[in-house]
Amino acid sequence: MSDEEHHFESKADAGASKTYPQQAGTIRKNGYIVIKGRPCKVVEVSTSKTGKHGHAKCHFVAIDIFNGKKLEDIVPSSHNCDVPHVNRTDYQLIDISEDGFVSLLTETGGTKDDLRLPTDEALLAQIKDGFAEGKDLVVSVMSSMGEEQFCALKDIGPK
Amino acid sequence: MEGQQYQGELLAYLQSTMRAIEAACTSIQMHTNPAAAEATILSLSRSPQPYKACKFIMENSQLANARFQAAGALRDAAIREWSFLSSDDRNNLINFCLNFVFQHAGSPEGYVQAKVSSVAAQLLKRGWLEFSVSEKERFFYQVNQAILGSHGLQVQFVSINFLESLVSEFSPTTSSAMGLPREFIEQCRKSIELDYLKVFYCWTRDAALGVAARIIESDSGTDEVKVCTAALRFMLQIMTWEFRYSSNSVKNINIFSDAIRPDNTLLNRTECIVVQPGPAWREVLLSSGHAIWLVKLYSALRQKFSRDGFWIDCPIAVAARKVILQFCSLAGTVFPSDGGRLHEHHLLQLLSGVIKWIDPPDAVSKEIESGKSSSELLDGCRALYAMATVTTPSTFDKLLKSMRPYGTLMLFSNLMCEVLKVLMTKESDEETWSWEARDILLDTWTAILTTSSGSSENATLPPEGVHAAASVFLLIVESELKGACASVFNDDSASDYLHASISAMDERLASYALIARAATDVTVPLLTSLFNDRLSRLHQGRGIVDPTETMEELYSLLLLIGHVIADEGEGETPLVPNAIQRHFLDYVEAEKHPVVVLSSSVIRFAEQSLDPEARSSIFSPRLMEAIIWFLARWALSYLMSPEEYKEANHDSGLGSTNQIQSYGSKGIILKFFSEYGNGKTVLDIIVRVCATTLLSYPGENFLQGLTCCQLLHALVRQKNICVHLVELESWRDLGHTFANEKILFMLNASHQKSLAQTFILSTAGVKNSDTANQYVRNVTSHMTTYLAELCDKRDLRSIAEQPDIILLVTCLLERLRGAAGACEPRIQKSLYEMGLSVLKAILVLLEIYKHESAVVYLLLKFVVDWVDGQITHLEAQETSIVVDFCMRLLQLYSSLNIGKISLSTSSALLSDAETDKCKDLRALLQLLSGLCSKDLVDFSSDSSDTPTTNISQVVFYGLHIVTPLISLELLKYPKLCHDYFSLLSHMLEVYPEMVGQLNGEAFTRVLQTLDFGLHHQDVDVVSMCLRALKALASYHYKETTCGRPGLGSQASSGSHPTGELKGGILSQFLRSLLHLLLFENYSSDLVGVAADALFPLILCEQGLYQTLGNELIQGQVNPNFRSRLSNAFYALTSANQLSSTLDRINCQRFRKNLTAFLIEVRGFMRTM
Repeated sequence: MSDEEHHFESKADAGASKTYPQQAGTIRKNGYIVIKGRPCKVVEVSTSKTGKHGHAKCHFVAIDIFNGKKLEDIVPSSHNCDVPHVNRTDYQLIDISEDGFVSLLTETGGTKDDLRLPTDEALLAQIKDGFAEGKDLVVSVMSSMGEEQFCALKDIGPK
Repeated sequence: MEGQQYQGELLAYLQSTMRAIEAACTSIQMHTNPAAAEATILSLSRSPQPYKACKFIMENSQLANARFQAAGALRDAAIREWSFLSSDDRNNLINFCLNFVFQHAGSPEGYVQAKVSSVAAQLLKRGWLEFSVSEKERFFYQVNQAILGSHGLQVQFVSINFLESLVSEFSPTTSSAMGLPREFIEQCRKSIELDYLKVFYCWTRDAALGVAARIIESDSGTDEVKVCTAALRFMLQIMTWEFRYSSNSVKNINIFSDAIRPDNTLLNRTECIVVQPGPAWREVLLSSGHAIWLVKLYSALRQKFSRDGFWIDCPIAVAARKVILQFCSLAGTVFPSDGGRLHEHHLLQLLSGVIKWIDPPDAVSKEIESGKSSSELLDGCRALYAMATVTTPSTFDKLLKSMRPYGTLMLFSNLMCEVLKVLMTKESDEETWSWEARDILLDTWTAILTTSSGSSENATLPPEGVHAAASVFLLIVESELKGACASVFNDDSASDYLHASISAMDERLASYALIARAATDVTVPLLTSLFNDRLSRLHQGRGIVDPTETMEELYSLLLLIGHVIADEGEGETPLVPNAIQRHFLDYVEAEKHPVVVLSSSVIRFAEQSLDPEARSSIFSPRLMEAIIWFLARWALSYLMSPEEYKEANHDSGLGSTNQIQSYGSKGIILKFFSEYGNGKTVLDIIVRVCATTLLSYPGENFLQGLTCCQLLHALVRQKNICVHLVELESWRDLGHTFANEKILFMLNASHQKSLAQTFILSTAGVKNSDTANQYVRNVTSHMTTYLAELCDKRDLRSIAEQPDIILLVTCLLERLRGAAGACEPRIQKSLYEMGLSVLKAILVLLEIYKHESAVVYLLLKFVVDWVDGQITHLEAQETSIVVDFCMRLLQLYSSLNIGKISLSTSSALLSDAETDKCKDLRALLQLLSGLCSKDLVDFSSDSSDTPTTNISQVVFYGLHIVTPLISLELLKYPKLCHDYFSLLSHMLEVYPEMVGQLNGEAFTRVLQTLDFGLHHQDVDVVSMCLRALKALASYHYKETTCGRPGLGSQASSGSHPTGELKGGILSQFLRSLLHLLLFENYSSDLVGVAADALFPLILCEQGLYQTLGNELIQGQVNPNFRSRLSNAFYALTSANQLSSTLDRINCQRFRKNLTAFLIEVRGFMRTM
């Protein structure tokens, strides 16, 4: 009971249905987890016991999916953890402005202009070149717990 | 005049080289520009004939490092140019090195001497098969003189060292790489073993005799000690030589070597090399009183230096003890077949010396505790181990009886008890001498108790041995329990260890179990009483005292009991251990049989965990782990054993008559736990305990893993258990919970997979095949229905990303995988339907979850597992459905992933994404290989009117889809690379005719990949590519000689439509393979496969081969090399009566030719 209440609070905190409760023991490598209020991807799970004859606990090492920082947490494996709702949307890339912001075409036909390209030089050059060559580029935007960011890029069209 | 001027120039040149090398050495040491310095040194060794310069530096440089490097350069150059050095040059080089070593014997820079003497040894080995006997005699005459001591102690020392490096050069495991074939190494080894080792041994032995006498007499003499140590070390080296040729056969082994057990390496922690030099060594090692001299030498030295406590660890003492140990391990035909008298005598002599190191055990251990070095005791234990390895238990025991009133076993068990007592007083996690001693002694027990036949286990162990085993086991249990108590509260430091504990302790427990089984009459009742005692302690203290210590004791006891009364299955059904079968013959009533009593106590204890109250107070997860582990191990041997089943059938007149067998004690136990006895009740208890761990221990992954993967699997592995399992109410309940209750979706997904598999496997117990199929449908319907329903939902796209839905989909896919993996012919039909009903859902989900790599992987893996199980059984029409689906899956995966770049800020996540991609691709390749197997094994009922699918076409098409997804970056993952090339080379080998039909793009891609693979670092990959190449070229050659097009227009020269490639593909490969063989680095293992590929290529492209050969020959400036090269080319295609047919004999001849060709020319081709 107390777990669910706790969960409800965190829900209210982050906005409706941003996270779901899930038993710690079921969270595997490559799954998602909320640590210190941040949505993370689990890169390592190990289990240990509290004392030799105690109960199992899970030790998570996870990486913040937005800022790439490493976070760790230890949770008794029968307790619940918050798992973030990670949403991904594909958009067609229609323009890249000088300052690195892009225009994206939404499904409804509108445009979305509030996202910036990654700062990595090589990648940026690759995207700009591809776009200049006239490739059809589709970008995937990942959003979770009120934040969003590019997560993948794919060219579908002819050169 | 001119001569003088030439001399002057030469001297100037040599001096400048020396200065350059010296400067380079200094700069390496100072770490200033090491790369340039290394290049300078390398240029010396790479230059042609640098011998003068090297010798000059070695003789004149003041800098030791420069001399060292010059020696190395000399070695490299000589090995490279060996085949065209004149025999005088060769002799001179070796003589130079030897003389250098002797002349500078007193030099303080020992490493330069060691290097030069190893260079001499390597050169001597390089020319070993070419030197005449008299030439070798000349070298060894010098060495012999030096060893005899005629040039002083220093020279004696370095000459022994030279022999040491020579012998290690000749031993295949320690030789340095020279790029020579294995046959060469083997011939050298044979020659030295038969003709020289014994001679060398005698020389050093005589040297040792001489100096040892002087050491004992005089007080000073560090040089003598040095020589003696070197001699002992060299003797040890020869005693550890792996004799192959002189121990002239395995057939006529005398009784002592009968006792050598090749299988005891399984349990060994301690190294014991059995030395079997053969009868030729008898004179040297045994008859001359050599062993007794050694023992006396050690005793004398020991006495002399008894005041210096540190002496025990001096090099000379260590070396002497090691030689004595090797003498203990002598065995085989070196002893005459005199009923073992000489062997016994020999061991007795050694034991008389060794016993001083270990006896009396308590006094020795006290001395060690008060600061004496433990190495003598440890070596004593090792000597016992060696003796136990080469003798039978009764001979082993008899050895000591001539010296003491008791036997060796008595001494040995006293020693072990002493060690265990010391161990108990120590902190458990501290590695001390007593740990090591215990491990060696445990190995000794293993050596005594395991026999190669296994049948005469106790028959050979004398009664003293049984007593000894019982008393040792008593102490073992005591110390284990004490250790358990002590370790309860130091949790965190050992927590990593805890999880592995069950399997990590296995090794030690297995030795304990062996000891216990040697005295079952005492040990089984002992374990029962200890177990019951701890149980009552646990119950009495319930709620009053902290039960942790008792729980830990029970945990250890359960592990011990499991090991003692049952064997590990390792994939097969284990039998009741022999020791238990042969004992307790006088028990008629099953209820009183000690093993039954013990087993029943544990099972009753397990049953108590069903009570929630007891569970919360005394059944910790860890204790449950031990219970589950025990039940799994026990059930395999005892529960409803098929042997008992047969016997029962026989009794009731149903079975065949040839089952009559004397069951002895085993029969009583098995009957007790059979389906007619208490088997069903016990099975029910086990199932309910399993359900409890799955339902009432949430989040205990390890425990649940044991339950699913070990215990339940152990149950369904046996058909006769399944028969009763599917009838049980508790089993049905568990199945119902699995399908309907949310709680089992909380299990770790891989355990759910295993559970699903277990349920499907249990259908083996259903008699009727329709019922079995219905059972499968019942188990799997919840999975397929839910997935199908989910995919029909209109808001699928939005709900699919919810974590709870992802979790559910993951679990269901894992369950489906488990079910698919349990495919049996009988239930294949229902499993086919199961897969068929989710095919659509899989494609939908693959699209929906394209960003969720974990789900994508599971989807692919499910298809792989399902296709793997189904493909060989499918009828033509079904095959085309499945193949069609697979192609759609591949296309969809490709369209979703091609050209996709992951943009993440975290490098860890980026590399994870890469790994995921790699795993996906491997799954796809596995899918294609799975499809391939349809062509090899096919159980479908063949009806010719339905059109069959052309599997090879499909797989090539699949490869065409998958290949673009595999980037060069991804091929750096070894597993993926391996899978990819093995599939590709399999396809090319089996279906070379398909290659001609590929379209241009696919064709080019296949060939580029092959070319990439040829230059790969992994030997396996290269050899797979070579095999593919061989298949292609042979196919083309055979077809074209019959007048057919073969690989078609693309293969033959000069007709490629695009014009990019000058020649055909085969000519390209001929060119690149020749280049690879002549100029690049590769493992010599590849030469054979390369020959197989090169031969058909040459036959296909004879014109080009001639041109290439001529080009290479014309390219040689040196006329000497030019003629050698052209001769070699000629021999390559004409030696050994090579003809131009592609049969087996010809291929083998060509292999030989190519090896000879490469040895002949590669040396100078690569340097030019």
